[in-house]
Amino acid sequence: MSEYIAQLVDLGHQYDEGSEIFKGVTFNIEKGSFHFLTGPSGSGKSSLLRILYLGLKPTWGNIRLFGEDPLRMKPATLPLLRQRLGVVFQEFKLLDHLKIIDNVSLPLRVRGVEAKRGYKQAQELLDWVGLGDCLMSYPSALSGGQKQRAAIARAVITRPQLLLADEPTGNVDDELAMKLLHLFEELNKMGTAVIIATHNPRLLERSPYPQLQIKEATINVIPNHRIGE
Amino acid sequence: MNNQQDLPLKKDIAARFVPKVVALMVYLGTLCFVFTLFMIHSTKLWEGQLSTQLTLEIPTTHGHPSADLQSRVLHLLNRTPGIQSATAVPQKEIASLLHSLLGEKVDETLLSLPIIIDISLNNNEIVDIPSLETHLKNISSDIQLTDHRSWQAHVSDVIHMSVLIALVVTALVLFVALATTTFATRTSLLIHRQVIEVLSLIGATPSYIAKQFQMNALKQGLFSSTIGSLFAFLTFMGVGVLLEKIGLPFSIDSTFFSQALCVFVLAPFLTALLMMLSARFAVLITLRS
Repeated sequence: MSEYIAQLVDLGHQYDEGSEIFKGVTFNIEKGSFHFLTGPSGSGKSSLLRILYLGLKPTWGNIRLFGEDPLRMKPATLPLLRQRLGVVFQEFKLLDHLKIIDNVSLPLRVRGVEAKRGYKQAQELLDWVGLGDCLMSYPSALSGGQKQRAAIARAVITRPQLLLADEPTGNVDDELAMKLLHLFEELNKMGTAVIIATHNPRLLERSPYPQLQIKEATINVIPNHRIGE
Repeated sequence: MNNQQDLPLKKDIAARFVPKVVALMVYLGTLCFVFTLFMIHSTKLWEGQLSTQLTLEIPTTHGHPSADLQSRVLHLLNRTPGIQSATAVPQKEIASLLHSLLGEKVDETLLSLPIIIDISLNNNEIVDIPSLETHLKNISSDIQLTDHRSWQAHVSDVIHMSVLIALVVTALVLFVALATTTFATRTSLLIHRQVIEVLSLIGATPSYIAKQFQMNALKQGLFSSTIGSLFAFLTFMGVGVLLEKIGLPFSIDSTFFSQALCVFVLAPFLTALLMMLSARFAVLITLRS
């Protein structure tokens, strides 16, 4: 019997008076699964991820995350659910006043991990993503690709149970994109469920993972998809 | 790689004015509180020293009153229940009081000085004042008996009222300091909304975020209120020296000085602690609403 990390039932969302971006969305994310989230620009990939990382309240429907109902939880307890998530934001959301090593070790600090241990883990991870020389730099001194990698390092440092990545390879070259995908795969092998929103066709071609495809405000689950098949 | 704050609170606009406002409030608050202590202390001293509760005056218009009249009055007083002692104030002492008012050159022999008798009462017994007055009038109709307890009670009421006002002012000053902290914290929450959102999205609890603000408030509070308290102490000492120099009776004894010193030392810690708590509650209330 599979364990669900996230369950979305008849979910719908509408921004103010605009049109519905989802309606009747129902799908489950199993523990240790790997999905790509695809769809044309503006189809609502980022909005769906925001709903999953509890940054957006859906207009209709139900959602369960790690067996809990976040829509009925008190706002003060939501961070405890978020501590089980890792998020790579499309716009990185690095804190400009903190050094890269502080940004990356921040999720550990928030969870009460000792600073020294947090820095050690952050350093190892930053070395791995090729930012070993930028530990003491501030985000403003980094290129888009470097910020992307730092944001990924911050998202995975806690080995979350569910990793949500919004276009994580949007600002990096193909070689690094594959390397980052490999990082996500390694994390997935350790039990983390991964959902990656992407436009990158090479990424989809290289990795035959199931797709959550947003089309006409609904989601179709396409198992083990390969482009051209 | 230090364990710095996740929020850049030190660079806030609020961080510029809060220490100044708090320092000023602590300066005024501690001075006001020390003034209150001084009033309480002085009142106790004054009440303790004021052993004479009744004064009897035998006026003379034609030369010195007879020694016989004085001895009859003293005899009556010493027999009256509730009177502990009755002593005539020496004429030289009365004259010296006049010298301080009219100058040293005044010849007191030209003035008809009254006989004044200080009467101390026994605290455990009640003196029948109307009856005493009747007996005194039988001796001489010119005798005047003054009961100091009525005006002493009025003065005590005035002092207690001023102590109360000083305490209210101190509380208001403290309230302003805390209100400033709360306002500044709420402003900071708005300024750093995006950073707080990121922290929240990566799992920071309201308590974790509040900790950042409360530590900042604690540091700010300690720094600014220490400065405020230090200046208040210097003012207090300065005023003491100044009043002594101009000859006003402002004496700082060791008991009062140690009490005042405690206020000056504890005020920064208490203020910082209250600022820390007000910052914490401001953040928690805002984030949890």
